[in-house]
Amino acid sequence: MAFGRKTRTEVFIPTSSMGDIAFLLLIFFMVTTIFREETGLPIELPRAEAGEEAKRELISNIYINKQGLISINDRITKVEYVSDIIGKKLQDNPMLIVAFKTDTHTPYGVVSDVMEELKDVNAVRVFFNNDIESHPGRKW
Amino acid sequence: MASTSDVAFLLLIFFIVTTIFAAEQGLIMVLPAKQRDSEPVKVKMSNVTTLKVHQDDSVTLDGKPIEINHIKTAIENRLSGNDKLIVVLEIHPDADYGRMIACLDELRLAKATRVSLKTTEK
Repeated sequence: MAFGRKTRTEVFIPTSSMGDIAFLLLIFFMVTTIFREETGLPIELPRAEAGEEAKRELISNIYINKQGLISINDRITKVEYVSDIIGKKLQDNPMLIVAFKTDTHTPYGVVSDVMEELKDVNAVRVFFNNDIESHPGRKW
Repeated sequence: MASTSDVAFLLLIFFIVTTIFAAEQGLIMVLPAKQRDSEPVKVKMSNVTTLKVHQDDSVTLDGKPIEINHIKTAIENRLSGNDKLIVVLEIHPDADYGRMIACLDELRLAKATRVSLKTTEK
């Protein structure tokens, strides 16, 4: 009679390949991650020597091209709707900075109209994006 | 082979430390909020200097034509004589935006902090 014969089996999880698995996962996510990026409009930024940096988290872009087309959130917008869109964004983030990514050959009137819209909703912090001046003495 | 993961980690740490995310470059400005009920601020005319960008993209400082590269020195001179100086940057709606940025850039370089934007009435 061999009742209750105790068998001792060692429970063993192989850990030596853990590093390999971690790296495979790392590589997998590195390769598959796509950063969501705004396409906006094709523009040529004006050049300037002075320039500050702004935190990306606070920035909301307004693209304006040479023809005066306005794009916010990758959608072409009319000037009249700018205040509504930015007003909503401002509610979510009171520290919002509105960045003008405007082509250097845009007529200033368009930018001025957009700024008037921003003033209506109290979005007063604006940022004029520019490229860093590469040829000192030459403006544009 | 045992040191592969050490090497990988060293590389990982190296790239984590050296990575710089591209920051946005530009000129910050605070617009005046729309004033309701309150009276507009009055300033002395002697404290105001007007930098004007015309329809044909020419630039004048208090009515006299000026090259963009010379704005910095001209404003610096005025600022040294009067530290309460307010620069009004008046731009014609048909002028190039790049022209306005070039002027604003010069004002920044001259450390003019009180800048007001104005659009010429059509």
